[in-house]
Amino acid sequence: MIEAYLIHILILICIYIVLAVSLDLAVGFTGMLNMGHVAFFGIGAYTSALLVLAGVPFWIGLIAGAILAGIAGFILALPTSKLRGDYLALATLGFAFIIESFMKNWVSVTRGPLGLPGIPRPSFFGFTISSQLGYLIFAFIVMLICVLLIVKIEKSPFGRMLEAVRDDDVAAKTLGKNVRMTRSLGLIVSAFFAGIAGCLYAHYISFIDPTTFSLLEVILLFSIIIVGGLGSSKGAIVGTIILLILPEPLRFLGFPSSIVGPARQMLYALILLLIIYFKPKGLFGRVQLGET
Amino acid sequence: MSDKNTDTILELRHVSKHFGGVKAVDKCSFYVRKGLITGLIGPNGAGKTTAFNVITGLLKVDNGKIIFMGEEITNKPTHAIARKGLARTFQHVRLFDNLSVEENMLLATQHPGENFFKSFVHTRKSGALKKKIKQVLELVGLHKPLTTLACDLSYGQKRLLELARALMMDYHLLMLDEPTAGVNPYIRKRLKILLRKLKREGKTILLIEHDMDFVMNLSDEVVVLDAGKKLMVDKPEKVRKDKRVLEAYLGK
Amino acid sequence: MSIIVQLLINGIMAGSIYALIASGFSLIYSVAKFMHFAHGSVVTVSAFFLFLLVGILKFPFALGAILTVVFGALLGLLINLVCYKPLRNRKATNAVLLIASLALFIFFQSLMIALFGADIKTIRRGAISTGINIFGGIITELQIIIVIVSVVLLVLLWLFMKKTKIGKAMRAVADNKEVAQTVGINPEKIYNITFIVGSAIAGIAAVLIALEQNIEPNMGFSLIIKGFTGSIIGGISSVPGAVLGSYLLGLVENLGIWYLPSGYKDAIAFFLLFIFLLIRPQGILGLKKGVGAK
Repeated sequence: MIEAYLIHILILICIYIVLAVSLDLAVGFTGMLNMGHVAFFGIGAYTSALLVLAGVPFWIGLIAGAILAGIAGFILALPTSKLRGDYLALATLGFAFIIESFMKNWVSVTRGPLGLPGIPRPSFFGFTISSQLGYLIFAFIVMLICVLLIVKIEKSPFGRMLEAVRDDDVAAKTLGKNVRMTRSLGLIVSAFFAGIAGCLYAHYISFIDPTTFSLLEVILLFSIIIVGGLGSSKGAIVGTIILLILPEPLRFLGFPSSIVGPARQMLYALILLLIIYFKPKGLFGRVQLGET
Repeated sequence: MSDKNTDTILELRHVSKHFGGVKAVDKCSFYVRKGLITGLIGPNGAGKTTAFNVITGLLKVDNGKIIFMGEEITNKPTHAIARKGLARTFQHVRLFDNLSVEENMLLATQHPGENFFKSFVHTRKSGALKKKIKQVLELVGLHKPLTTLACDLSYGQKRLLELARALMMDYHLLMLDEPTAGVNPYIRKRLKILLRKLKREGKTILLIEHDMDFVMNLSDEVVVLDAGKKLMVDKPEKVRKDKRVLEAYLGK
Repeated sequence: MSIIVQLLINGIMAGSIYALIASGFSLIYSVAKFMHFAHGSVVTVSAFFLFLLVGILKFPFALGAILTVVFGALLGLLINLVCYKPLRNRKATNAVLLIASLALFIFFQSLMIALFGADIKTIRRGAISTGINIFGGIITELQIIIVIVSVVLLVLLWLFMKKTKIGKAMRAVADNKEVAQTVGINPEKIYNITFIVGSAIAGIAAVLIALEQNIEPNMGFSLIIKGFTGSIIGGISSVPGAVLGSYLLGLVENLGIWYLPSGYKDAIAFFLLFIFLLIRPQGILGLKKGVGAK
């Protein structure tokens, strides 16, 4: 029993690590306050779920989910590349709400609030990952690949350019960098990986509905990367582990389950507020939130 | 029609830029000749930095043309103009604070690895590149470890780094906005020596300055702006003595 | 024909509510220069406070309503003092303040769920009225009162801003904080007053909404989005603009669901918000003050 619970948490940690590291690529490295990341997560999840439920092989579902999420990133990047600061935050938040609205109302495709049940576990070469432990290994491998790829990007000259655009986009322009395109690419790549996380999530939990991809998730994701520290993949990983484990004791304190849920959210909100106030650079952050 | 001057590297023709009711640059025309150091002076609010911003594409002109190396660059995107060989520094230093000295310098080049799809392959800095960085930093006199973060530099060192970064670029025209602002006399002297050296190497420099001694001593030609218009262009000795220039500075 | 009239009435009703929310929000933005997303929480918590007084403790309604408005004002003030002021002292950018505000919003929403449960509460006031028929559209007496109260309140707010000394001080800080300081105005004091006034309006809005609709922990979300959007459409740093934008939003929303499934109602607001942020961030009436630039 306790083993199943631990494995469950570990799987979620793997999924959220991909989400956090990809979000940090956009926020910490490129300096874009993207509060709509959860939309990419959802698009990846729904796309993959719908395709696989329709009989498409898992790998295609995964790639399609990631690509569609990347396209959503492109769609978001185009109009928002001129916005900064709180206006960008608001616009990206609005984008997330629009996507959530489609999830809720495009009933013919998404089944609306009823959600998509029965999403199958991944299967390839005739082999299905049906066990919890098997999925943990799978999620871990996918997470590892994603994180390594993202870190490689961050350390590359392209990553350097992302950081330049974050630190001073005017200077970057005068050095010949196409800032608009750079920002867009940063967002697209970030979205792509969030889509992969979405697919991982959908095929694990086996049921998704619009409420999974809401404002609450946005707060959680931002708490993770701010606690971990912006501009640091290591921070995003540590932040994920801390924030996913921290509220778990609430389960065991004997509160009724109707309290545990909201208590968890209150905890995340408080952590975010406290970190912003006391340690805005977070644990391993190289950049402070206000500087992006 | 100044294309008769085949040694004109930059020309502004009747360029106007206003903000609300204020004419920051008002039908301004002047040119910068190749291989010379041209000073751009004028009282505060004369439109010097606005002219810089308009030339580099950070601001759009309302009217007029800007021609660089024989090509019209009016209202083109800043990064495109920069790639044509226009390097500039800013009045208030603009560095990539969270990046190191070396990274700031590397960003001045168009590294092939900056193309996203090539970034997995072209990650190394070539030997030639590393050498050039070392040379340019020596040239400006910045003796700090390459890994120092830009935000950890002193004000004077930051200015030197910004200049070094501009020098790293493949430029035909170097535009400096108040390079001596707030720097100590030692650095000021070094800058003068450096700019003279660059000129001997055939580079073209346009600089905005408030330090009269510095700019008059250094420049081959001086453009004087006042209230967005060109007041006069001439050799420093003539400009220094001109009554109109004095009036412009002391107020009417 | 009567459908259009009904949709218009619904639009004006919705617009009135949104205008109340937007005016407080926009007032705070124009003075304090950041997006106080938690304004929605002030409405929600005030509504629950009213429910506590009137629904559970059985206070007389009038007393409960007045106490709720006071509560709302104080809650807003408290949020400013405990949360925003310390961050301002640390030179937090307005993006940071927005994120903090979002966190606060989530905090209060979850708190309400934890304390009161996620189900809907109502405050019944007498029998359900059949309403008056105007040109084929139905409007209840309560709804008429709400529209009238909103309009009166907004006019009072406008007068307050234009004619009173404090109102002028607020506008001074909104225009140029540094200059206002040189003439002896204390910005922190003005921020406090702004939060009190804006949140009091939110408290009144809470009372009206609690009467006319329902109370549930999620109500603040939809309201603040509409308030936001109304403000952005009309011009976020302009209170009259926010009001204008809100009525426009109310009308567009209600006329819009003539064509779309009603579930997309909120999406209309998000969509308009998105479009305006992209194309005309300063809104219809707003000034372009380097929007989004830092």
